[in-house]
Amino acid sequence: MVFTHVLTSFLYAIEPVYNVLNTSLNEDYFRLLMLIIVVVLVAILAERLEKIRKLNELNQKLKIQTDKLEDANQELEAFAYSVSHDLRVPLRAIDGFSRILVEDYEDKLDEEGIRLLNIVRDNTAKMGHLIDDILLLSRASRQEMKMNELDMAALAKSVYDEFQTDVEGRNIEFTVGNLPNAYGDRAMLGQVFQNLIGNAIKFTRNKNPAIIEVGGKKEGKEFVYYVQDNGAGFDMKYINKLFGLFQRLHSPEEFEGTGVGLSIVQRVIRRHGGHVWGEGKVDGGATIFFTLPKDKPKKKK
Amino acid sequence: MDLEEADILLVEDNPTDAELTMRALKRKNLANQVVWVKDGAEALDFIFATGQYANRDLENIPKLILLDLRMPKVDGLEVLQKIKADERTNRIPVVILTSSQEDRDIVESYKLGVNSYVSKPVEFDDFIEAVSTLGFYWMLINNPP
Repeated sequence: MVFTHVLTSFLYAIEPVYNVLNTSLNEDYFRLLMLIIVVVLVAILAERLEKIRKLNELNQKLKIQTDKLEDANQELEAFAYSVSHDLRVPLRAIDGFSRILVEDYEDKLDEEGIRLLNIVRDNTAKMGHLIDDILLLSRASRQEMKMNELDMAALAKSVYDEFQTDVEGRNIEFTVGNLPNAYGDRAMLGQVFQNLIGNAIKFTRNKNPAIIEVGGKKEGKEFVYYVQDNGAGFDMKYINKLFGLFQRLHSPEEFEGTGVGLSIVQRVIRRHGGHVWGEGKVDGGATIFFTLPKDKPKKKK
Repeated sequence: MDLEEADILLVEDNPTDAELTMRALKRKNLANQVVWVKDGAEALDFIFATGQYANRDLENIPKLILLDLRMPKVDGLEVLQKIKADERTNRIPVVILTSSQEDRDIVESYKLGVNSYVSKPVEFDDFIEAVSTLGFYWMLINNPP
């Protein structure tokens, strides 16, 4: 046993001391001293061993939890995969064959018949968008991140340019401030700007002019960025629902949407080591903030 | 249909997707010479003239193969791998036509030498446009070896 081995080595080590002391000290006192030392050592050793045992136990538990998490993640991935494939197939059939019905039997269908078929098609389109968004969300959670230094201002501008067709004929004052560069995954942070700027464009639909501002600055150990608009805004009462999956703060008649966009933003920013929050007022616009760590991230697997 | 005259081989397990694909090809008058097989195993039998297609002339190779990925028995990637690994068939243009937009499927297909990868759009107009365009391109614009 380790303990006896340690004890023997200890006794051997103090033998010269014993010999020297033997001449000047009472042997009984020395024995008592020895006993105390041994008892203390045993106590320390026992405590250490107990700590190690507990640590091992915790490690074991952690490993089981990690395995469980990995299993759950794999299941989620398989689910997203089958959603992308299996749900699209019937959806395409519903959309396609209702269109074929209109094309081939137009002379036999009256206006009401065509209107009903269009409702079918509108709803398949909605479901298609929902599936696409769920897939984007699952991708935002599991895609490997390629970290680079990013010109955040240029990224925001290029994302805005992609909305060309949506902003046509509208009066929008779009400004981008001096955003600090950040470290991040270009595609994923592009998706963040796409969702935030897309929201700003959508929720300012009834404003003339619409004002959309992208800003950012250094704050302590992080960079803070925001996208602000003067659109429909939201009631701070429902702030806890803002980033919730499938949560919507507007009716589909007012503003279309799937309730997935801000969830994606939150996932992406959290994976980058930052956090998100929002401020808004009914009909007084909304501002969505997100942070990114200032330091270049250490290599992660 | 005369099996010797197959211009396009459509490998698709879902009958409604197959019908939509044929409809799209019809718009460019490409539907007459389409042979439709329902899974990867049947596709391999057709391409290599084995099994139920043992009497087919192997020299008469299709000008284009439209290949779905997820199919029963033998999946699309396996069919693709066999086509591209065989001297007799590796020059046939193969277009993956699938519902999957998964990165790993796209990467794997190109690694195996696919000529094009197209995700089937859900929306009817987009689907018809995509399939008829790719049919037109590979059958009429592209110069095969």
